[in-house]
Amino acid sequence: MTSSTSLLEIRGLRAAYGKIEALKGVDIEISSGEIVALIGANGAGKSTLMMTIFGKPRARAGQILFDGRDITDLETHQIARLRIAQSPEGRRIFPRMSVAENLQMGADATETDETDRAAGLERVFTLFPRLKERMTQRGGTLSGGEQQMLAIGRALMSRPRLLMLDEPSLGLAPLIARQIFDAIRTLNRQDGLTVLIVEQNANHALRLAHRGYVMVNGLITLSGTGSELLQRPEVRSAYLEGGRHG
Amino acid sequence: MTTIPTPASRAPAAAFIFKKALISALVALVLFSLMIGIRTEAGPSGQLIYWTRFGDLAAMVGIVFGGSIVVELLRQWWGPVGTVRIVPPQMQSALAVAGRLVAPLLLIFAFLVPVIFYDQRYILDLGILVLTYVMLGWGLNVVVGLAGLLDLGYVAFYAVGAYSYALLATNFGWSFWVCLPLAGILAAFWGVLLGFPVLRLRGDYLAIVTLAFGEIIRLVIINWQSLTGGPNGVSGIPRPTLFGIPLTPGPNGLAAKLGIEFSPTHRIVFLFYLILALALLTNWVTIRLRRLPIGRAWEALREDEVACRALGINITTTKLTAFATGAMFGGFAGAFFATRQGFISPESFTFQESALVLAIVVLGGMGSQLGVALAALTMIGGFELFRGLEQYRMLVFGLAMVLLMIWRPRGLIGHRAPTVFLRHAQTISSDLVKEGHG
Repeated sequence: MTSSTSLLEIRGLRAAYGKIEALKGVDIEISSGEIVALIGANGAGKSTLMMTIFGKPRARAGQILFDGRDITDLETHQIARLRIAQSPEGRRIFPRMSVAENLQMGADATETDETDRAAGLERVFTLFPRLKERMTQRGGTLSGGEQQMLAIGRALMSRPRLLMLDEPSLGLAPLIARQIFDAIRTLNRQDGLTVLIVEQNANHALRLAHRGYVMVNGLITLSGTGSELLQRPEVRSAYLEGGRHG
Repeated sequence: MTTIPTPASRAPAAAFIFKKALISALVALVLFSLMIGIRTEAGPSGQLIYWTRFGDLAAMVGIVFGGSIVVELLRQWWGPVGTVRIVPPQMQSALAVAGRLVAPLLLIFAFLVPVIFYDQRYILDLGILVLTYVMLGWGLNVVVGLAGLLDLGYVAFYAVGAYSYALLATNFGWSFWVCLPLAGILAAFWGVLLGFPVLRLRGDYLAIVTLAFGEIIRLVIINWQSLTGGPNGVSGIPRPTLFGIPLTPGPNGLAAKLGIEFSPTHRIVFLFYLILALALLTNWVTIRLRRLPIGRAWEALREDEVACRALGINITTTKLTAFATGAMFGGFAGAFFATRQGFISPESFTFQESALVLAIVVLGGMGSQLGVALAALTMIGGFELFRGLEQYRMLVFGLAMVLLMIWRPRGLIGHRAPTVFLRHAQTISSDLVKEGHG
């Protein structure tokens, strides 16, 4: 994308679980208004990168800059207050709480006022009308796709400037996955929301994203625009061949 | 709804029932042959004498055999159902209406107990005991029911509250009304102190540490003789006053001031309303907190800690406030206990108490205020009711618990009402939905 200001800038980021190094010096840049996809195999460190941006696990070295501000050493809840929202892997909605309560939880952590909350709800419901129908239903009674919508909707309730999605298509039927990706595209086009999306479904993700990064063993090995990466033979052979739907 | 067995399916069913009953009877025979079949006792010169009771054993096995057949027949009669369908729908809606009335009726009844049973000291004492456990249950409910942090050492805060009041009142002569908030604050402080080391623990590990914490507090109380009096406890704890007016027979007493004849029952009635007020305060605060972000955060924490973190909820403060709030109410209850008894010793604060309060919360349905109150009433009141059954009391009690856990595995009141209402509220019974999988 042409937008010049970078919203998130990561330099030489290292993180580890005990002795196992999961990130070995990652550099990533996300400009304002961009959709950036992060693709890679299982265990490449994609989710770890997302979690490290959010403060847990802590970065061992390197820097994370959000809107020019160093957030490397901030606590998770302080990072969230800067309006970085995350939809974690495996949806993780609150099963015994109602849809309305789940959404409210998203707004609670960041100090949003009543009008903000109402606007957030309105946005979520126009994006996912299904959630409005199921507002009083318990989260655990929703279908997988609806739960994913709820997870994204919950993240949107904090009116984020950067939305990070961890495997939003995980375990969803292709048609539902496409709906989710469409919603992300809508959010980006209409609201100018910046999105970092981690995906195994490389085809979908790279078609959606403006730019993409390929991660292998805790390092970024390739980067480029979505369509560029889709053409690269190494990407094709590693992530796309083998009859993926799309 | 129910499957009606056809004649063809009846014959194998009979064989099946017979087989099942036979197995049950066999298990009973093995189990009871030593327990009931042989009775041993120490003879006059210390030797072991024993005699057999095969008649009783046969009766027991026979009961198991017959009972097993009855249970199986009932099961067949009802068909392959969950327990939900045993109650027909029209009765369920009637029950729902009755359910809404339970809480207000119970409250009105509680207010009227001292009026109705004014002359029955035993009932009043029992009422006070039940209300103490209702309050403890509601306090623990914040930690276990709402925040989902399994606390096996809740009695520690009860003890801290009781000893805080006892020591402050006996050493400094401070009044109950000054000491009550102090007892709560001190207990809350200990709650935070417990909270810090267990921030990273969950489930079983948390339970073990809290269990140890409860024991540590008890052992410290036993061994710190100079402060707590050790196993001898603290005696001569002042009775509460009605904002400075003592409930005594003297000329300064409440009775004399009101110009009525003194009766020791006045103090009991006063204590009853005191604990009722404290319990209702606990309930009110909990209900209010549940509607605030912190209360929602507790419930979210119970549901999914990882998700909470992903939403940027401050896990540390959420956990610590849950521990502190629960502990504070435990401390209040402890202070009340001390002033009511007039004497406290470490014996009152054993693990048994923690287990009992936890059982009340679990039986009541985690997180349900009404459920906890009903469970406390059943557990404490029911336990007293069956006093006439003597040694069979525990048996009846155990049976009731087993049945309850079979029929209502989530406790008496297993559903939770949402606290965020966007349009109209609608609760969904826990029986209709299972967790997690869409």
